[in-house]
Amino acid sequence: MTAPVFILGGYQTDFARNWTKEGKHIAAMIREAVQGALAVTGVEPREVEVGHVGNFAAELYAMQGHLGAFLVDVDPGFAGLPTGRHEAACASGSIALLAATAELEAGRYDLALVVGVEQMKTVSPAQGGDYLGTAAWYELEAKGVEFPFPKLFGRLGDEYDKRYGLRDEHLAHIAAVNYDNARRNPRAQTRSWYMSEDHARGGGPYNATIGGRIKISDCSQVTDGAVALLLASPAYAERWAARRGTSLGALARVEGWGHRTAPLTFDAKIAESAGAPYVLPHTRRAIEDAFRRAGLASVWGLSGIETHDCFTTSEYMAIDHFGLTAPGESWKAIEDGVIDFDGKLPINPSGGLIGAGHPVGATGVRQLLDASLQVTGAAGGYQVPGARRFATLNIGGSGTTSCVFVVGRG
Amino acid sequence: MALDIRKVVVLGANGAMGAGSAMVFAAAGIPTTLLARTRDKARLGQARVEKLAKSEAISRFLSVGTYDDDLDREVAAADLVFEAVSEELALKRAMFARIDAVRRPGALVATVSSGLSIAGLCAERSDDFRRHFLGIHFFNPPSVITGCELVPHAGTDPAITAELAAQLRGRFGRALVRTADTPAFCGNRVGFELLNRCAHLALEHGPAELDLLIGPHTGRAMAPLATIDFVGWDVHRAIVDNLHANTADEAHASFALPVYMDLLIDAGHLGDKSGELGGFYRRIGQGKEAQRFVLEPRSRDYLPAAKLAVPPVVAAMKRLHRVGRYREAMAVFADEPSPAAALMRQVILGYVSYGLGRVGEVVEQVADVDRIMGQGFNWAPPGLLVDLIGARRTIALLEQAKLPVSRLLVDAAERGAHLHTEPGDPGRYFVA
Repeated sequence: MTAPVFILGGYQTDFARNWTKEGKHIAAMIREAVQGALAVTGVEPREVEVGHVGNFAAELYAMQGHLGAFLVDVDPGFAGLPTGRHEAACASGSIALLAATAELEAGRYDLALVVGVEQMKTVSPAQGGDYLGTAAWYELEAKGVEFPFPKLFGRLGDEYDKRYGLRDEHLAHIAAVNYDNARRNPRAQTRSWYMSEDHARGGGPYNATIGGRIKISDCSQVTDGAVALLLASPAYAERWAARRGTSLGALARVEGWGHRTAPLTFDAKIAESAGAPYVLPHTRRAIEDAFRRAGLASVWGLSGIETHDCFTTSEYMAIDHFGLTAPGESWKAIEDGVIDFDGKLPINPSGGLIGAGHPVGATGVRQLLDASLQVTGAAGGYQVPGARRFATLNIGGSGTTSCVFVVGRG
Repeated sequence: MALDIRKVVVLGANGAMGAGSAMVFAAAGIPTTLLARTRDKARLGQARVEKLAKSEAISRFLSVGTYDDDLDREVAAADLVFEAVSEELALKRAMFARIDAVRRPGALVATVSSGLSIAGLCAERSDDFRRHFLGIHFFNPPSVITGCELVPHAGTDPAITAELAAQLRGRFGRALVRTADTPAFCGNRVGFELLNRCAHLALEHGPAELDLLIGPHTGRAMAPLATIDFVGWDVHRAIVDNLHANTADEAHASFALPVYMDLLIDAGHLGDKSGELGGFYRRIGQGKEAQRFVLEPRSRDYLPAAKLAVPPVVAAMKRLHRVGRYREAMAVFADEPSPAAALMRQVILGYVSYGLGRVGEVVEQVADVDRIMGQGFNWAPPGLLVDLIGARRTIALLEQAKLPVSRLLVDAAERGAHLHTEPGDPGRYFVA
């Protein structure tokens, strides 16, 4: 049994911002998120012992690598801080979290800073779509393809359709719920955008098809965003809790994790799972691993989930893979209202990637921040009443890297 | 009391504010009727709503009609009648007389007026009308800008004001500020004080030079004189004329419209909307071939736009904003000794002083003026600027500039407290 890891708190930048329009360098995003996290937690910079940055492709989007070093620039108290940057496409943030939690569990450090960041509005949507193609096997699946990822996740829907049947109206409900939830979240990108289930079901000029069965309303957005989170060992957390007039029992804690990698190409994934109940078996295993480590008997021990809905089809997949329904029956949880904000097991009360936004390398960190806010009753307008335990699922590529965390309290 | 808004009628629904407001109500799933002079104009409003919502599906909540054929029946069935016709007192009053004759008792009536007296607009109406009448001032476009002023007059039922405020915040997602029924309310009063002061300063310093100095690095999306071109010189004149005629505070002189603007408006120069006549800026031709000119206010000639050297104080602030060092950028703002920096301070500190000075008169708290300048104008709010500069330093600079120092500012300095308490990333206002 390794030492538990506590989540002290963190800060998410407003995902509606366009940092390129503001004329900002990615350093400003890191700086605002870190300063926000320090202010929220009252942690002094010199107390932080290690820093990890999750980021997918700043070299492409912002012509900037070596992001870990930007932490040192934030405050003189960070002088000499050990830092690094982690990449696994859209799961980059979770990989940074896994590195930080492993170090804390091992007793190497007592207080870690994790930042997820992506600046994506630096380029045209088409150029950005091409960059995102490097999260697939670029030469085989993305080179010369316009918007490769909507097409790949359209194929995920097609695979469900082939194996079990899939109705697009169920995907439309997923979109509508995420947009609806985002309206409760003051940092969500789409909080003031118009969306309705009618609109998501329809097509037309305002909801055009992007690739395969994926329409605009099925997609997460191009988002700029940064999130910083402070994670601590029991020793530091206990001192910190005393300082803040609270107790360890009131803090969010990482209870379990799962981390698996599937073959990179979508064809290989589907070939591998042919005839199996789960379309993405490695994602299912990552969830099972996290549940086992958390001592969670079933998904019904959760109060909610923050999942990776880069497209409505990925959330459709998450519903049965988490075990809300039998494989292929995600539609039942949708029809029964289980995933709605006031449902039995709400998914993405924050609005998820579709509603809150998807700054690729920041998403995993944003999910863990939201999970920690939920279990400590600090999620404000999108608080799930009485939430005790949340899970996150963060995916890189077309279901390639799957990272899961279970977050409880105390 | 429960305020059950199940049907909205929008008058003047073909205009930008009418269609934008209709979008807010329809987006909340409320059946909304768009009325205009003709059916074609009302349909134009519907197309505008769809464009703002980026959705044809929103039309499920929309219907259209005309003042002549449909107003009586539609208004009689409405829970909220929302007036967004042209900003002309006589026209609005005539519309309210018609509404008063057919509305059901208890139905709300609101005006989107950006500054006319709410009490004056309903002075001749029935008691029930007056009790249910108030201003709901959205900012254009309401689909994007959530800042909103709610303006009851002395005779508005307080319970209705309270309930409507709750719904505007919750159901309609507005960053709401309740203001007194004073000229131009809060946002436009504070905002156009700065804008018109810049129009005066353009005489001496030149429009392009001034916009460069008071540009986005001072905490705004668009430079001041470009903003006046965008808003329209006629709209600008209506707002500052109203303020000049009906306020008598320290900014009275700065609300007088510059004579050169008056003359140019009469000659058809209304800013961006007047095509090649232009305003402070004039563009002839399209795209890369376009020739750009800048107004020379003294002669009222347009001179070819020249590439201006960026003043060192501006360059230094931008460099710091770019990497998120906003506090250090504001330290440069406060300390740089050049005449350019002194002029920048005069304008921005005037805004801080005037904004804080309206607390207690137009709004109740610093948070209110901060909210409307931030969410309505997308300008760095006065309270935030004080926090970044430091309260003591701000007081010293205000005294140096002979500007009124708010008691609130002195209190904040004494207590070491922050003035800006609004949520959201402060960095978003500062453009590099």
